[in-house]
Amino acid sequence: MSTAGLTPPRWAEVLLERLLPDDARETVAGDLREEFVEGVLPQRGLVGARLWYVRQVLSFVPWFAKEGSGMSKILLVVSMFTLACGCWLAVMEMVLRHPGFGERIGVALAIALICAATILARMLHVGFRGERWLWAGAAVLIALGGQAFLHNARSAHFEGFVFVISLVLVLQGVLMLATLGRADSGSRRSLDAANSLQ
Amino acid sequence: MADLLGTFEQSVLLSVFALGTDAYGRSILNRVQATLQREVAAGAVYATLERLEARGLVSSRLEAGTAVRGGRARRYYALAAEGQRALGDTRRALTAMWKNVQLEVR
Repeated sequence: MSTAGLTPPRWAEVLLERLLPDDARETVAGDLREEFVEGVLPQRGLVGARLWYVRQVLSFVPWFAKEGSGMSKILLVVSMFTLACGCWLAVMEMVLRHPGFGERIGVALAIALICAATILARMLHVGFRGERWLWAGAAVLIALGGQAFLHNARSAHFEGFVFVISLVLVLQGVLMLATLGRADSGSRRSLDAANSLQ
Repeated sequence: MADLLGTFEQSVLLSVFALGTDAYGRSILNRVQATLQREVAAGAVYATLERLEARGLVSSRLEAGTAVRGGRARRYYALAAEGQRALGDTRRALTAMWKNVQLEVR
């Protein structure tokens, strides 16, 4: 059977390679490609096989998340949390359409955008020391979190979720400055070490 | 006695042992699925292999890839002496736990 065009989704392969450390990137991607072509594709067809592949790629997210320093792990979890919160808030504002909803949607989407960029930066293992956007993004998060915290604390109706999200935003801003300021190779073991076992 | 192995770790180690010289990621994944009779996430198998290697229970080596893999290398695993010991310890502990237990297993 010709396998031309019968390949895993390109974006999923790229994502997998980003999720994996240097020394596992080639071998794991090769194993999954081999299983895709020889094992899953003949049984499930192209759509089923591609869905299988995406599921396998997503199964590497926990492995990816535990890599790096303690602070960068926390940053990743916090960024995912605030990304979900930002998207959720934007959707709720669009549905409820209370006065001033446009401005709040803008704020929620800005938070989501900063979080997505942070996660992407972590996945790409790049550092951003000196980059203006990093400082701007962190400053926006700290300012928004601080403002929401103070507003909530002074309000007659204290809301728990605003309290949590505001603290998380400040924490994320601080962690961004602390961890994204330096490059993270993401490498766990060197290939040389593995080869020396031969 | 070393820490006892979990069910999944035992399954991965036993698969590495059973596959012998053909134990690489894909074959181990398929073997574990066949043994446990359920679909297993690849990420779980690779994360377990990495953990077992870090504990010295398996060793690995790289070999050249094939065309179907796009030329990507294969990492072959082998059960280390420490891995055999851990499997033995776990088996003995399980046997001791179940000794004289009259529970009807369904």
